[in-house]
Amino acid sequence: MNPETTSWDRPPGRLRYVAWVPVALFFLFVPLFLPVYLQGILTKALIFAVFATSLNLLAGYTGLFSLGHAAFFGLAAYTSSILVVHYGLKSFWLVAPAGVFMAVLFACMFGFIALRVSGTNFFLVTLALGELLYSVAIKWKSMTGGTNGLVNTSAPNLGLSWLPVDPPFFYYLVLGVSAMSLLCLYFVTRSPLGVALQGIRESEPRMRALGYNTWLFKYLAFIIASAFAGVAGVLFAYHSRVLVPMHLGVTTSTLVMLMVIIGSDRVFLGPAVGAMVIILLEHPSSLYTPERWPLILGSIFVIAVMFLRGGISSFLEKTWEKAFYASAKR
Amino acid sequence: MESLSINVLNGIAFGMILFLIASGLSVIYGFMGVLNLAHGVFYILGAYFGLIVRRHEGSFVLAALAGGLAVGLLGLVLERVFLSLLHKRINEQVLLTLGFVYIFSNIVRWVWGPYAKLIDPPAFASGTIPIGSASYPLYRLVIILMGLAVAAGLWLLNNKTRAGSILRAGMDDREMTVGLGVNYGLVATVVFVLGAFVGGFAGFIGLPIVAVHPGIVFDILLLSLIVIIVGGVGRIEGVLLGSMIIGLIDSLGRAYFPEFAYFTMYIAMIIILLVKPTGLLGRAL
Amino acid sequence: MQALSVKGLCLDFGGLRALWDVSFDIHIGERVAIIGPNGAGKTTLFNVLNGQLKATAGRVSLFGQDITRLTTYERVHLGMSRSFQLTTLFLNLTVLDNTLLAFQGILPSRFQLLKPLSSYRSLYHKARELLGSMALWEKRNEPVTTISYGEQRKLEIALALASRPKLLLLDEPNCGLTASENTEMIAQLRKLGTEITVILVAHDMDLVFGFAEKIIVFHYGKIISQGTCDEIRRDERVKEVYMRSQETSG
Repeated sequence: MNPETTSWDRPPGRLRYVAWVPVALFFLFVPLFLPVYLQGILTKALIFAVFATSLNLLAGYTGLFSLGHAAFFGLAAYTSSILVVHYGLKSFWLVAPAGVFMAVLFACMFGFIALRVSGTNFFLVTLALGELLYSVAIKWKSMTGGTNGLVNTSAPNLGLSWLPVDPPFFYYLVLGVSAMSLLCLYFVTRSPLGVALQGIRESEPRMRALGYNTWLFKYLAFIIASAFAGVAGVLFAYHSRVLVPMHLGVTTSTLVMLMVIIGSDRVFLGPAVGAMVIILLEHPSSLYTPERWPLILGSIFVIAVMFLRGGISSFLEKTWEKAFYASAKR
Repeated sequence: MESLSINVLNGIAFGMILFLIASGLSVIYGFMGVLNLAHGVFYILGAYFGLIVRRHEGSFVLAALAGGLAVGLLGLVLERVFLSLLHKRINEQVLLTLGFVYIFSNIVRWVWGPYAKLIDPPAFASGTIPIGSASYPLYRLVIILMGLAVAAGLWLLNNKTRAGSILRAGMDDREMTVGLGVNYGLVATVVFVLGAFVGGFAGFIGLPIVAVHPGIVFDILLLSLIVIIVGGVGRIEGVLLGSMIIGLIDSLGRAYFPEFAYFTMYIAMIIILLVKPTGLLGRAL
Repeated sequence: MQALSVKGLCLDFGGLRALWDVSFDIHIGERVAIIGPNGAGKTTLFNVLNGQLKATAGRVSLFGQDITRLTTYERVHLGMSRSFQLTTLFLNLTVLDNTLLAFQGILPSRFQLLKPLSSYRSLYHKARELLGSMALWEKRNEPVTTISYGEQRKLEIALALASRPKLLLLDEPNCGLTASENTEMIAQLRKLGTEITVILVAHDMDLVFGFAEKIIVFHYGKIISQGTCDEIRRDERVKEVYMRSQETSG
């Protein structure tokens, strides 16, 4: 069941909007009272929330499960860092769009290749294409620093001298960009194109029989998803300060897929919740059992796929709906 | 620079290793439609288990079989307990295998550590034999023979046995085979176990040439995937052709264009995808 | 100008010939039924007309235009629409969403990616009209998986009608329906205006003789007879084919 469909006649659900107030308050004010490293964790969570949601546009909404999505994330990250470090371009307004542009450029090429296949083959091809970029990142040492990584410790330069450069500043930049990105993606999912993508997921032959050029829609979904992965990538470059080829490769691609599934690929905010949960869980794990984190993560994932049909979010939403509509009926 | 024939031989040997690596994946993918992302894990587990047996029993062949069997057993458990519950939901099954990768590669790291394992070829197959003016490692020739044996075995299974025809029919029309009284769940389990066995077996016998450690799980998977994309899914001939092509391209590439050698297989893959997406011996478009 | 003109259509399926030199013409506004025993190639014919399968040889013309090489979705834009024998709906989406998608199929706004679909009031009203005429409006917010089979079949047809087609291909529209649902369906089909040309594949002789003006009889991928209802009723070859198939299936 996809609760994200359009319907005018559903009760206005004012409660849904009200629920956003505490969330907004939390994200706006709580970080001010947190130590810097916790701010950093929240920042990373927001970045991955955008990254995961972008993947879900392809996976949950269109039914195209990509295991190479980190390619665009990493490409944008590397591009922006390379521009700063090797070419001395300081302005965020130049570097960020350039990063996203690179991601989109490659999406245009890769999408064309990847969409030659469908279904399970799509997993295959996207994984291979992602690894291709990973290999390039390792080999092209002069640009990327190879496995030693690319270091960029400068903060994003917005060219606004009156802005302070203290830690919370970057968090708020990320918060703003993430919120806007998520909102954009939300509108895309509710748009005619977004609903068409869901139709393609449900039955591609039927969509074609209704007049839709389904290849084109899938291609557009691929590009849009990559663009937003690129946005997340650019932010990540500044957050992480060191980029390694792993950020483009299968480990990151599978990590973000895990976030999508654990959080739920059937609900818009599912992947964002999944990203938050995983990043927040990663922290205590790194303190107590750093070696066993993949095992823990893998186990949660298996549980999610097996039992929480639709991940944590969907499970919570069903419980939430039951609780609310039960009380509303009185 | 080595002669052309040595390079070709190397290409074939590498191709055979690729074939052994990829066949386990192809069996499961071709017959069940499930992409077993944990294939790389099965591969290394076969090597690790085999090593334990070898340390105790000493026999190379026994160790290889034991490695395969142990992994086959693991595959049995995973299929029965987890995969079969997601009956018909292929995407979820594939994702599940992704979870297995995380879990089992971490367990391997926990138990055996991150260090690479490499062994010498067994006594009966070590040393070199002269080919032309050069000496060629005997084990590589053994690998070629081994690969051909596995290929022949799988081909016979596929084309000459009743089980094979059931599998092929099932690939095309699941409902019909169920209607004909075939227990599809059982078939799925058998296929998965077979694929796991082949994967584990390949892991051990590849040990004298391919060092094994938890970090290579995705590399193994990737190589298998490229072979399958190029050669086509579902038929052993396809996997064999794909691995030969990739092996030769890689070997000749390294010899003549060392700068780009690494990427030759990706280029081959992309060309195939653009020209014939189902692979060289895959179904017609 | 004919609504649909098919000449010498052949289709090979990996060694097997599924359609043999099929030729027929359909006039604008005509109601045609394609009948024949199971496996005769009727749905395959539809798949070729629809563009889902590429003909090995032959020509298909829609309102005078050669569409043989066109894709399925291009044909929809030229006025062709089709319903499926096996219900092919967007199962996890609501009835309303299914309908809206059907209306959007030929509209340029389908590429729109920022305005919410829910803001397209005119589509909403069109959907209301269409679903209302099929008594599906009350179920508009239900996911398709939860509505009854009969309702799904109705929706299947509704989707095909949404694009205001000039040529409607209905593949076994009453497949699996109860007697009362069947009568309802036949009444619905009668209500369709003469600006729509209708071709249906059917097994139900009540539907066929009650609805069609012309009948085309298929057997083993070939047309063995075509004509008016009376002509077909009297045709010996047709009776023979049906009797023979009754024996083998009986």
